[in-house]
Amino acid sequence: MIKVTHVTKTYDDGKVRVEALRGINVEIKNGEFTAIVGPSGSGKTTLLNIIGGLDTPTEGNVIIGETNIALLSENQLIDFRLNHIGFVFQSYNLIPVLTAKENVEFLMLLQNKSEAERDERTTKLLKAVGLEDQINKKPNEMSGGQQQRVAVARALASKPDFILADEPTANLDSASTANLLDIMYRLNQEENMTFVFSTHDQRVIDRAKRVITVEDGKILSDIYT
Amino acid sequence: MIVKIAFKNIWRNKLRSWVVIIAIALGIFGGLAVISTATGLSKMRQNNAIRTYVSHLQLHDSAYLKYGRLDDTINQQADIITYLEKSKKVKGISPRLKVESFIQSAGGTSGVILNGIDPEKERQVTDLAEQCIAGNFLERYKQKPPIIISQKLATKLNARVKTTIQCSFTNNIGVPITGIFKVVDIFSTSNSMYDELNAFVRLEDLQNLTSIQGSHEIAVVLHEEKEVEQFREELISKFPNQHIASWRGIAPDLGYADKMMDLVMTLFLIIIMLALAFGIVNTMLMAVLERKKELGMLISVGMNKRKVFWMIIWESIFLALIAGPLGIFSTYLAVNFFGRVGIDLSFAAQGLRSIGLESTLFPILDNKYYVIISILVIITAILSCIYPALKALKLNPAETLRTA
Ligand SMILES: Nc1ncnc2c1ncn2[C@@H]1O[C@H](COP(=O)(O)OP(=O)(O)OP(=O)(O)O)[C@@H](O)[C@H]1O
Ligand SMILES: [Mg+2]
Repeated sequence: MIKVTHVTKTYDDGKVRVEALRGINVEIKNGEFTAIVGPSGSGKTTLLNIIGGLDTPTEGNVIIGETNIALLSENQLIDFRLNHIGFVFQSYNLIPVLTAKENVEFLMLLQNKSEAERDERTTKLLKAVGLEDQINKKPNEMSGGQQQRVAVARALASKPDFILADEPTANLDSASTANLLDIMYRLNQEENMTFVFSTHDQRVIDRAKRVITVEDGKILSDIYT
Repeated sequence: MIVKIAFKNIWRNKLRSWVVIIAIALGIFGGLAVISTATGLSKMRQNNAIRTYVSHLQLHDSAYLKYGRLDDTINQQADIITYLEKSKKVKGISPRLKVESFIQSAGGTSGVILNGIDPEKERQVTDLAEQCIAGNFLERYKQKPPIIISQKLATKLNARVKTTIQCSFTNNIGVPITGIFKVVDIFSTSNSMYDELNAFVRLEDLQNLTSIQGSHEIAVVLHEEKEVEQFREELISKFPNQHIASWRGIAPDLGYADKMMDLVMTLFLIIIMLALAFGIVNTMLMAVLERKKELGMLISVGMNKRKVFWMIIWESIFLALIAGPLGIFSTYLAVNFFGRVGIDLSFAAQGLRSIGLESTLFPILDNKYYVIISILVIITAILSCIYPALKALKLNPAETLRTA
């Protein structure tokens, strides 16, 4: 469960003051499949970064499970991210020198998981994203869609509480987009994995079970479909 | 895992990595090449000096060194010579009688030290005989006693082989003495100062002229240079009344050259390491800045800063680990090759000769330099990537991801 209360975020470089978030209150329960939508500059990325502990709120609290991550130190946050949150970014998701298998394994290595567990889980996850025949390919030998699927598998590998994806399909063609969404949807249905993603894409919005619309740093609407 | 990623990372930009590797290797090679050449030069100068005029050890009567009187001869000469002849370490012994004298020919005058030597014995100690142009090392002569003078002195006296010259000095009881000699040969060593000051006559001729028996100086050459200091101690304990000096004491400048060498080499190593450090800082900084997004991603998904730091450190350790052996191995090959064949410097032979060097240089490299340089290279590599690695830690993941 993610509980965001009274979160504001103001960027102030001394010259310009940008109020990227102005009082966000939202609760995301386990098992949700939630899209955050809104025009460019509305604060989607900022909100996801704050939920994911990549950025800290100016005011307010973000409670994940039992932990108020606004109170964690930088190093504690890194560990928290490793063990509780899965990330899928728009691009630069993978380590270019490693194969698909090694990329998926990577977080489990950081978690000091045993080799047997790593192998088993890597195989299972790559199969779940339909890449069992690509395990030894490097990122630059795969298509954009395949790379994003590896990223999803990698995000799942650390057994996170939920997965945050900031515009995961922005660089994909429609077939790859549909395919990636199918995989995410199935993982949500079958494994009860929580997904929170931002998007501009109407086809992606249509698949979401809950759509939170952000505008000007505020929640404009919050609809369960 | 981190080590593995680091290793793979250095091959992402092969050209850049190779440039750095080759630069490091060349640095090592260049540094060691200079050190070995310089060591070779210094050793050559040393050996030359030892061979032509210093010898390994010289024995004198303590009073002779203090007063330089004609009758301050070595008083235990017979015992000493017997002892030296028995020792297996000794290769040659040459007793010399030395007289400061005024030398005069029809063409000029000069001051000189007359060295009374036994040519047979002198041959075993110095290579003076080989420096004589006519090959007559006081061995062939008619009525007049023979003398060998240097090219330099010959020019000064306007003398040649067969020129008659006259030497005069005052003996130990104040009586002026004059001897007539005939030049039988002319020598020239690589030390022009020595040349100007020394002339050689037969020991018995000088003994007769001065009415002094014995000698002032015994020059000793050992089979092994390494044993010099130890053998000196041995002699001192046996003959405590003699003044016994090794080549280091006789020609301290030769030893200073060694010390100077060490200093110059240390400076050189520092310069090489600085160049190396700049190269690595530059490369690794580029490698970090170029991979900002990827490093940001790694931190975002939960790779902690310590691991990011070590990943970058390992990258430059690998560069150094590849470059180090490459540089050291190529140096080893070159030093060994030229150490056997020598480097021909005959184009500069004239100049070299005047400072006591020969025209073929044999580079020498003490093994310790390989070790020192290996350690230094690795330490430098690690130190110089700390800054880039710290730079990587300062990355803010949210920022780096945003600038897509
Ligand atoms: N580091 C920053 N410094 C200053 N302003 C920032 C910074 N990051 C974001 N902003 C501003 O905050 C606001 C919200 O940005 P954000 O990236 O969250 O929007 P977004 O909804 O993700 O937009 P997009 O759909 O284009 O990705 C924008 O006005 C943006 O310019
Ligand atoms: Mg955004």
